[in-house]
Amino acid sequence: MAALVSSTEQESDRCGSEEENRGVEAGDGGQQQQTGPAAPGGSRLSKLPLARIKALMKTDPDVSLASQESVFIIAKATELFVEMIAKDALVYAQQGKRKTLQRKDLDNAIEAVDEFAFLEGTLD
Amino acid sequence: MAEKPEDLNLPNAVITRIIKEALPDGVNVSKEARRAISQAASVFVLYATSCANNFALKAKRKTLNAADVLAAMEEMEFERFLEPLRAALEVYKKGQKGKKEVSEQKRKEKEKKADCEHEKSKEDEEGEDEEEQRMEEETEEGEEEVEN
Repeated sequence: MAALVSSTEQESDRCGSEEENRGVEAGDGGQQQQTGPAAPGGSRLSKLPLARIKALMKTDPDVSLASQESVFIIAKATELFVEMIAKDALVYAQQGKRKTLQRKDLDNAIEAVDEFAFLEGTLD
Repeated sequence: MAEKPEDLNLPNAVITRIIKEALPDGVNVSKEARRAISQAASVFVLYATSCANNFALKAKRKTLNAADVLAAMEEMEFERFLEPLRAALEVYKKGQKGKKEVSEQKRKEKEKKADCEHEKSKEDEEGEDEEEQRMEEETEEGEEEVEN
């Protein structure tokens, strides 16, 4: 099966550092270093590790190859998505006069916001 | 290495950081909410990928590219993402160009070094006094003979 190998040779050092950190995954602290020292320049633009995003994309059997740029854009879009859903959920927390975002705030946001319709029924 | 979507989560620390930076100070996020957002983010990646892939297939390409992803964002009604994504892509492309040039330079330097190494060892000896140089050359030859 053609995997996302050809276009991502430059990311190999990133993948390497991710594998090293896998043992530390239980603790959250280690993950932040992945996009830092391993690959300068472009990777600093994305907070999410491109290797992990790529791995997620690869689970789709219909996807054969993805350019580095496409992986980057999806990572960036996911960042924007997280920001957006957090802010939308906050509205409901504030309505409930709470300062802590809770799961139900998320559920409310998903129900109310059209763009989040794809999430319905997908979360545990 | 077949990993299922369920096994692949985005790093907790990064998700938490993105959430915290999006929300005003003093707001907290429960563990369950954080977990749900992380899960939602993974679903988002899969949905966006699938959508983008459809555009690629329509264009009879096997490789997903940036344009496919942008088209997917529109399709998914996330037009608000298009501007910031395009801007980020520009910066990313420049960064990639710089990286390529740097790695090419490094490769060239490596090749130069490999060639120079033989000459360099000779140069070091030539830098000393002539007398010592002659002596060293003699001893070198002597050593060579011994080795042989």
